[in-house]
Amino acid sequence: MTQTKIRRMLIAAALAALAIFPLVSNDLYYQTLLILTFLLAIGATGWNIMGGYAGYISLGNSAFIGLGAYTTGILAAKANVSPFLGCLAGGLVCAVTAAVLSLITRRTRGMYFIIVTFAALQLLGIVATIWSGLTGGSQGLALPLPTWSLTYQNWPFYYPLLALLVLAVAVSAWVRRSKLGLGLFAIKDDEDKAAGLGLATGAYKLIAFVLGGTFLGVAGGIYAYYVTFLNVSAVFDIVTSMLIVLAALLGGRGTLWGPVLGAFLIEPLANLTSTSLGGADAGAIRLLLFGGLLGLVVLFLPRGLLPTVSAWKNQKQDDPERTRLTPAGHVSPERRKASDGTVLTVRALSRSFGGLRAVDTVDLDLPPASVTGLLGPNGSGKTTLFNLIDGTVRPSSGQLTLAGRRLERASRQARAHAGLARTYQLPRLFPSLTVLENVVLAERRLSLARLFLPRVTAAERARAVAVLADLGLARYADASPAALSYGQRKLIELAQVLWPDPALVLLDEPAAGISPALSQRLAGIIRRLRADGVGVLLVEHDVAFLASLSDQVYVMANGKIIASGTVAEVSADQAVIDAYLGDQVALAVASPVEPAR
Amino acid sequence: MSELLQAVIFGVLTGGVYALMATGLTLTFGVMKIVNLAQGAFLILSAYLCWTLWAQLGIDPLLGSLIVTVPLAALGILIYRFIVERVQRVDHRLTIVVTFAVALVAEAVIALVWGPNPAAATPPYFNEAFQLGSVSVPRAQLYAFLLAVAVTAVLQLGLKRTWLGHAITAAAENPEGARLIGVEPKKIGTWIFAIATATTAFGGAALSFLYQFTPDSQDTWIGLTLSVVILGGLGSVTGAFAAGVLLGLAESVTSAYISVRWAEAVPALLILLVLLIRPQGLFTLAARQDAAA
Repeated sequence: MTQTKIRRMLIAAALAALAIFPLVSNDLYYQTLLILTFLLAIGATGWNIMGGYAGYISLGNSAFIGLGAYTTGILAAKANVSPFLGCLAGGLVCAVTAAVLSLITRRTRGMYFIIVTFAALQLLGIVATIWSGLTGGSQGLALPLPTWSLTYQNWPFYYPLLALLVLAVAVSAWVRRSKLGLGLFAIKDDEDKAAGLGLATGAYKLIAFVLGGTFLGVAGGIYAYYVTFLNVSAVFDIVTSMLIVLAALLGGRGTLWGPVLGAFLIEPLANLTSTSLGGADAGAIRLLLFGGLLGLVVLFLPRGLLPTVSAWKNQKQDDPERTRLTPAGHVSPERRKASDGTVLTVRALSRSFGGLRAVDTVDLDLPPASVTGLLGPNGSGKTTLFNLIDGTVRPSSGQLTLAGRRLERASRQARAHAGLARTYQLPRLFPSLTVLENVVLAERRLSLARLFLPRVTAAERARAVAVLADLGLARYADASPAALSYGQRKLIELAQVLWPDPALVLLDEPAAGISPALSQRLAGIIRRLRADGVGVLLVEHDVAFLASLSDQVYVMANGKIIASGTVAEVSADQAVIDAYLGDQVALAVASPVEPAR
Repeated sequence: MSELLQAVIFGVLTGGVYALMATGLTLTFGVMKIVNLAQGAFLILSAYLCWTLWAQLGIDPLLGSLIVTVPLAALGILIYRFIVERVQRVDHRLTIVVTFAVALVAEAVIALVWGPNPAAATPPYFNEAFQLGSVSVPRAQLYAFLLAVAVTAVLQLGLKRTWLGHAITAAAENPEGARLIGVEPKKIGTWIFAIATATTAFGGAALSFLYQFTPDSQDTWIGLTLSVVILGGLGSVTGAFAAGVLLGLAESVTSAYISVRWAEAVPALLILLVLLIRPQGLFTLAARQDAAA
């Protein structure tokens, strides 16, 4: 608590010092330096929303500075619009551009995003050069000179940029605390999983990229007026992008203050080199210096200053001790009522990879309030079938109907919203989020208003704590999932996917690798789900476990369903025995009364 | 008609060269999912080295490229072992950032050694052409194209016929499985980087007598080679060749029918278009994305 107070006072003092600095000092060198520092800090803070929180690194962010600068400059030079209004237009143009780029990259991940931002920067530079009627091309574009009295010095640039920086940090802080930020951090950790939980990942990324781009655009507009002369190679310079990334990485990407700290370290250095270095080699030496610095930061300080310092401080505290699970309890507080018919219907579903038919004309019917087992040797297509049902993989042909809706072409989000949930053989929790945040992450529908809510609302917290208490894990609510054991993580993942009250749950080897006590509790949870009207599809190699729970069983081999029916019927089937079960399992099923209840 | 034919011939020849220049990027991207942004700078470095051999010792760039493969391969190994491999272990996403840093440092070093003035080699066949009726086939372009075909063919054979080639292919398709059968990723990575940067020597040789170059033209070339890789799809050497030819055609048709200046925008435009329409690349088959659990 006191630490927070100290930090707040430090921030307030720094802000006050920056606010009164131009009033008490008329040193233009430092005013200029601070103006450029604010610009870089705004850029790095904006970059951080997408690059730090969502993990989508961009190397083309100076494109937004250039776009904002040219929008403002063209409006001022051609239409006589005041640059202080024009810079808002610059922000708007950047917001639209960021949205378009997001749409272009909506189907791609990781590296491709970096390449797109890189290409966009190049393209804008080329277009600005060619379109010389508008931009002045390689001749450059002159803006009207400021008209205010010289006694105001650079105040009209200094204060708007300072205000913009404060606003950028405030927005960044708000993003961190909102559901938007929670989703962005989840995307950074595991985007596929986040989509499977119903998060509209595309919308999250679009908003993050637009926010960052807008700030850069407005800052670029103010910068244009400040330098009063724009030329393409300076404004769309990749080195500016590099400085933005360097500042954010140095301070600590993903932290609130890291990018600001980085900018306050980098810009003075950049300024120093540009004033002290001269001659033909000056440019090359600067490049060497900052390229080298970027390389060194990535190599030796990949997390940045702030996270490294806080990790070093935390080392002195002990790790939270682990506890075993206590038995009893259940997951579901309230449940929808069972509907008639089937919750999932699969017809002639197929998927080929090259010449391999991984899933071959599969038919399934899953009634609600039932547990269906899926058996088959390794490589028989069970996981691919799961991936087809949850949308990770698109089918080559066939139909998929979930709760009356055709979904074989639907996105993962749409399937989650229709009531589908899925756990993984190896649990996939989000390490950047707390256990409790993991539990409440899932979304039932797309709602923009929801993104403005705090990360965890009071009602969600109360319900999630109850869920965790039921699992005997309440004390880990605010811990990292890394503090949990493997079995505990499996339970948390189950709680996570059950959070939005799904109609159908796919469980991929839930009992694999966990203790007998835990697998009994798991069986209890699955029975309760059935009682609450949920359809459960279960892949499990532990045949006794599966037999004790399943109302019906499907057996897969080589991508096809080779048998279906009750456990007893299937285990008597010669094809099944040949393909999978073997003699000893027939014994296990012959006395299915006890093994694991 | 002959104008179109001329544009097509020129486009195909140039495109082969583009594919040659992109080979290094194709290999690291395809097998290791690493976008080595320093390839543009390595290309320029090779061009300067070939140019120096030609200007100082009179060695033809086509021949000089064989010598240049040696220092370039060594450079690739150093970059991988001391930089990329270390960063990859911490955060794969940062590999592209660190290679970007390497590109800037390399550009700076090139500028300090050779200065900022444009250079270009002018061997005897420079600016000469074979005349086929109304169509002319520039000799320099033709030789560079033949070099590209030869390098692509050798690489393709190497991938299909040698143990190393099989190991590389295996590591690309299933890194975990490859590790299980004794293909050590670090060893394979070293080989790939060595081969990737070594082939850059050939691309640089072609560049040295086909274009003027300056230290900061690495920026243009990395953009162009990236677009070849994206068009071609992940890591397919033959796909990259087809993509290079397509890009060369698009550029030459754009300069012939629209304007030379817009031809410069073609690579970046193609990147955006391809990622919008067919992100897996134009010349790839659907590959199995989910590893069997």
